[in-house]
Amino acid sequence: MGKDVRDIVTFNHVGKVYNGGTVALNNFHLSIKEGEFISFLGPSGCGKSTALRMSAGLAESTTGEVKVLGESPKDIIQNTNEIGFVFQEANLLPWRNVLDNVLIPLELRGGNKKEHKQNAMRVLEMVGLKDHVKSYPRQLSGGMKMRVSIARALAAKPKILLMDEPFAALDEITRETLQMELLDIWRQENMTVLFVTHNVYEAVFLSSRIAVMAARPGRLSTLIDVELPYPRKLASKTGSEFSSYVELASKSLEKSSDQKELV
Amino acid sequence: MSMSSAELTKKEVAAKSPNVKKNKGFSTFKQYYVGPIIAFAIFISLWQFIPMALSIEHYILPKPTDVIEASIKDWTLLSAAIQITIAESVTGFLLSALVGISLSVLLASSKILERSIYPYAIVLQSMPVVAVAPIVVIWFGAGYNSIVIISFLIGFFPIISNTLMGLNSVDKNMDELFTLYNASKWQKMWKLRLPSALPYIMTGLKISSTLSIVGAIVGEYVAGIGGGKGGLGYAITVAAIQVKTSYLFACGIAAAVLGIIFYLLVSMFSNFMLRSWHESAMKKEK
Repeated sequence: MGKDVRDIVTFNHVGKVYNGGTVALNNFHLSIKEGEFISFLGPSGCGKSTALRMSAGLAESTTGEVKVLGESPKDIIQNTNEIGFVFQEANLLPWRNVLDNVLIPLELRGGNKKEHKQNAMRVLEMVGLKDHVKSYPRQLSGGMKMRVSIARALAAKPKILLMDEPFAALDEITRETLQMELLDIWRQENMTVLFVTHNVYEAVFLSSRIAVMAARPGRLSTLIDVELPYPRKLASKTGSEFSSYVELASKSLEKSSDQKELV
Repeated sequence: MSMSSAELTKKEVAAKSPNVKKNKGFSTFKQYYVGPIIAFAIFISLWQFIPMALSIEHYILPKPTDVIEASIKDWTLLSAAIQITIAESVTGFLLSALVGISLSVLLASSKILERSIYPYAIVLQSMPVVAVAPIVVIWFGAGYNSIVIISFLIGFFPIISNTLMGLNSVDKNMDELFTLYNASKWQKMWKLRLPSALPYIMTGLKISSTLSIVGAIVGEYVAGIGGGKGGLGYAITVAAIQVKTSYLFACGIAAAVLGIIFYLLVSMFSNFMLRSWHESAMKKEK
C-alpha cells in the first residue's frame, strides 16, 4: 500500500466515558487507510463496538475526535451514503420481504424507484439471494438473514462498511462461507471494511490489519499487519503462516489481558 | 456465488409435508371443539330441565324454549333493536379507532406532548362512564349522538394505551438503522414505528370492539329513546319494567352474540393485516 493512500477513518486520541464513570475507550489513536480490511479484536468491554459506533455517528466521543473522510461521522451519515453498517443481529423488518428490506436505505434517501430496485437486485445477486427476494425474514435461516443484512448495507454503494460482530451468532459452516463471500465483495466493491470481532481466527483470515484491543479501560493494545496474500481460501487457514499470525494475535490478546489485571 | 444447500428455507421444508397436515385437521377438531360442544349441550339441557323440575315461573327464570319463543314472537322489535345497536357501536368503535390511533401518533411524535396529555387520558378513563353519561346527554341530547359518544369513550382508551405502547417499544437497533440512513422523524413514524406497533394496535382494536357494544348498551340505558329508535339497551330497560323476562333474556343473548361476532370480525381483520409476518397471526408450522 503506497503512502499516498488517503486516510478514510481517523480516531484522534478518542476517549469515551459513560455517565456512570465507566471508561469505555481511552486515548484511542488510529488512522485507517482507504481499501483496508481492519479488524478490531478484543475481549468484551474493550470498547471495540464503541469505536465502531462512533465512526458511524451512533455514539459521541467524550474527548478527541473521529473523522470520516475528513468530516464528522454525523455529517457523513446525514449527507452521504458512504457508510454502510451491519449489526450483530440481522435487524430485518419482519413485515417487509427481502427485496423491500434491502430497499430501505435507498427509499429513505429518496430518488428514482426503478434505479433503487436495480441497485437492490444487484446486491441481492451478489449475496446469492436473487431467488428469494419475495421471502419474508421469518422464512429465512440465520445465515440468509445475515446475507440480507449485508446486502442492505451494500445497497447504497458505501465506501466504508462497518460490521459489528456480524457472524458471531452463526454456526461455524455458515460463518466460513460468509467470510469468504465477504472477502470477495470487499475486493469487488473497493471498500474499506472495519470489522469488530472477538474471534482470533476470523480476524486473521479476513483482515489486512488487526487492531488488538484491551479492556478496563478500553484501549488499543497492538497493531498487527497481516501480510497473507489475497484471495484467501479456506486452505490458507491450514498454512504455517496463518498459524503464526494466529499465535501472534493470541499472544497480543493475552498480553493485553495481563495488563488488565494490573490496572 | 450460490446458495449452499444447507440453507433451505422453512417454506420449502414445509411444502414437502402436506399430508401430515390433513390428518391433523380431525384431531385438532377433537382436541379443541368437542369439549366445548358437549359442555354447551349439558348447560342448555340443565337450563331447560331444572326450571321444569322445580316448576319455576317463566318470568323468574325462562327456559331456553321460552327465550326462543319470545324472540320469534317479538322478532320485528328485536331485529330493529339489534340493528340500531350495531349502528351505534360500529360508529362508536370506528370513532375510537380513528381518534385513538391518530392521537397516539401525535403523542408519540413528541415526548413533551405525551407527558402533558396522556395523564389526562388516564383521568378520563378512570371516571366511571355511568357518571359521565348524563353530562354527555345534557350536551348532545338523548339519542344516537350521545350513545355513540358514550360507546366511543369506553372503547377509546384500550386503543390509545396499546398503540402508544407499541409506538414506544421499537427495537433500538432498528431505530439506529433508520438513524444511519438519515430518516426523518415522520419517515421513522410511517416506515418503522407504526408497522411495528401494528400487533399492539390490533390488540387494542380487539378489546375495544367488545367494549363498544357494552358502551352502546350503557348509552341506551341513559340516553335511549323509544319510538322505534331504541336499541338493545333500551329494549332491556323496557322489558325489565314490563317483567318480560324471556324477551329480556333474548336481548341479553343477542348483545352477547353481537359482541362475539364483532370480536371475530376484528380478529379476522387483525390476522389479515399481520398474517405475512407476525407470530400471532401465523399458522403453526410443525
